[in-house]
Amino acid sequence: MGDTSSTGGTNIEGESPQVEPTVETDEATITDDAELERTLGLSGGLAIGIGTMIGAGIFVFPGLAAGEAGPAAAASFAVGALVALLVALPTSELATAMPKSGGGYYYISRGLGTLAGTVVGLSLWFGLVFATAFYLVGFGYYAVDTLAELGVAVGDGLVIPLALLFGAGFTVLNVTGTENAAKLQNGIVALLLSILVVFLGYGGLDAVGLVGESTAPEQFAPFGTLPILTTAALVFTSYLGFAQVATVAGEMKDPGRNLPLAMVGSVVIVGVLYVVTVFVATSAFGSEQLSEFGETAMVEVGRHYLGAAGAFAIVFGGLLATMSSANASVLSTSRAIYAVSKDALLPRRASHINLRYGTPHVALGMAGGPILLLVATGRVELLAEVASFLHLVMYGLICVALLAVRRDEPEWYDPDFRVPGYPAVPILGALASFALIGFMQRTSQFIGIGIMIVTAGWHAYYARDVTLKGVL
Amino acid sequence: MTHVLVPLAILEGESISAGLTTLLEPMDVTVLGYHVLPEQTPPDQARLQYEEQATDALTDLVAEFEAAGGRADHRLVFTHDREQTIDRIASETGADAYAITGVTGPIERLLVTVTGTVAVERICAFVAELVDERGIDITLFLATDDGTGGRESLESAATLLSEHGIDVETELAVDEPPVEGLIDAAAGHDAVVMGERAPSLRSFLFGEEAERVAAESVGPVLVVRNPEEPDDASR
Repeated sequence: MGDTSSTGGTNIEGESPQVEPTVETDEATITDDAELERTLGLSGGLAIGIGTMIGAGIFVFPGLAAGEAGPAAAASFAVGALVALLVALPTSELATAMPKSGGGYYYISRGLGTLAGTVVGLSLWFGLVFATAFYLVGFGYYAVDTLAELGVAVGDGLVIPLALLFGAGFTVLNVTGTENAAKLQNGIVALLLSILVVFLGYGGLDAVGLVGESTAPEQFAPFGTLPILTTAALVFTSYLGFAQVATVAGEMKDPGRNLPLAMVGSVVIVGVLYVVTVFVATSAFGSEQLSEFGETAMVEVGRHYLGAAGAFAIVFGGLLATMSSANASVLSTSRAIYAVSKDALLPRRASHINLRYGTPHVALGMAGGPILLLVATGRVELLAEVASFLHLVMYGLICVALLAVRRDEPEWYDPDFRVPGYPAVPILGALASFALIGFMQRTSQFIGIGIMIVTAGWHAYYARDVTLKGVL
Repeated sequence: MTHVLVPLAILEGESISAGLTTLLEPMDVTVLGYHVLPEQTPPDQARLQYEEQATDALTDLVAEFEAAGGRADHRLVFTHDREQTIDRIASETGADAYAITGVTGPIERLLVTVTGTVAVERICAFVAELVDERGIDITLFLATDDGTGGRESLESAATLLSEHGIDVETELAVDEPPVEGLIDAAAGHDAVVMGERAPSLRSFLFGEEAERVAAESVGPVLVVRNPEEPDDASR
């Protein structure tokens, strides 16, 4: 690797970014001496997007969101979907111009420079850690409910221990190699979608009064419009999956076509499912009663419509969904760490892989360790909001990076997909992302800002001399 | 010029036996070093760490081919999907056949099966070029349900090869399971040449035919590819 360019400066350990000229084709990435096969198709990309997104929002949030916004929680999910879409379009353009692993971090470091890149790259690592912890706590609630449905009442005291156990399990599983994880993931997503479509089909008919008995109509937004926006900020965690598709951009076949389709497609599919689910859930019970059911309110909704079988289907679906989200996020975390360490912003050994299992054990450990610490806190809403905060900063900056790159289009910039409605869409996307942060709880904002300050400090200490802007 | 692809799990220490290197001397060879990664590892991450090591190993292999008087080059691919990589490189290089390396000494006797979907003429032309007046003996093998018809096509194939001055024997297996028959016949031969088969449920369950033959006969197997259909290339 001696022939790599050293124009990128060096970090405190004397490592410089590994930047090599590559040729991207639809089937492989070709470097000087090697080729990297592109093996993921459109369905694989959609499964990553949907699989990451579907778990958290649909199964954990309806109760919490209904408590805050009433039936208008459905509108909160719609707002979230709209923001996600405004960001997914610019992300798609950047991803087709730079179809490499690394995702949002990559575009920002190339468009806006090393400091922004470091802050985003490291924040993304922590953001994913918070998100995964949130998914795992959700998993704990569903695991306890599963046991309860099976007649073993263990109580909420076991939620955190179960979540910890599975968090450790995922990490070990990922280090020792999960040969068919992607196929399993596709199967889980397909199964989940079918459970939801049957359930929503029936529940939807009931909710509009075609079958079953009608429920007393409730005021749509009993607490006014502000809670719609604060709730949108809370539930935005549900949409954190679409950008994960960009982190496997280097492995996707025909990226010019499949990346935009997978990103935009998964946001649209998931957004529609969420809005309908929340509508159905708030129609089954009043929003007040729904919020009393808490994290597993969906189970009661299932019981309401389809009896014990419905409850069991939802409990089982919730278990699968939170598991799939958590697993996908652990993987994304290790990819985020790899992207950053390749650019010499973290020590190179962070991305070492072992030849025995072929897995990045150091990076997986750097994901798994902090995740377990956060799971132990058990603060569902806080975990979700900090995760949203850190991702929203990245999404906003992706939009800004697109504006920056397009303003003086460099020679290497040749995307296959261009954002419709430029520059309005990226500007709105950036504004909406940053605005959503403003509606969060103070504590989440402080933790988020604290993490960003720490990452900026790390840049000043460790990688001050590294330059990445415009380097491909 | 006939082109042969030799795929190797390069980082797992897979190598090419001296007998195969010598056998392939009249051909253009591309050594395809690949490394399969689990889904959780980006291929680029493995490249960063192992590219140099793998390239060194590949350069040595190419040098061995050249020392034996052949022509060879190499490609290195990091992938999640071995089959896809072999298919892609085979189409890109326009390979006429690919080799499954096995253990063998000097090659004196080849088993050539004309059972299957690749045209007999294509297989015979490949074998004629491979043998290249080197005094390698051939056993032609065919498994079929139709005894008389099978005998006739074996004889005409044998005539094709004899015209090139090759010493040919024939072996016909009637009403036997083709793969098992082939594996039995492979005993006493140093390598096997066979045609590529379209994927079937059987090959899905038991692994590809060529892989089974290679595993059970221990020696190398050369698989002659079906000529590419225009539809196939655009996929």
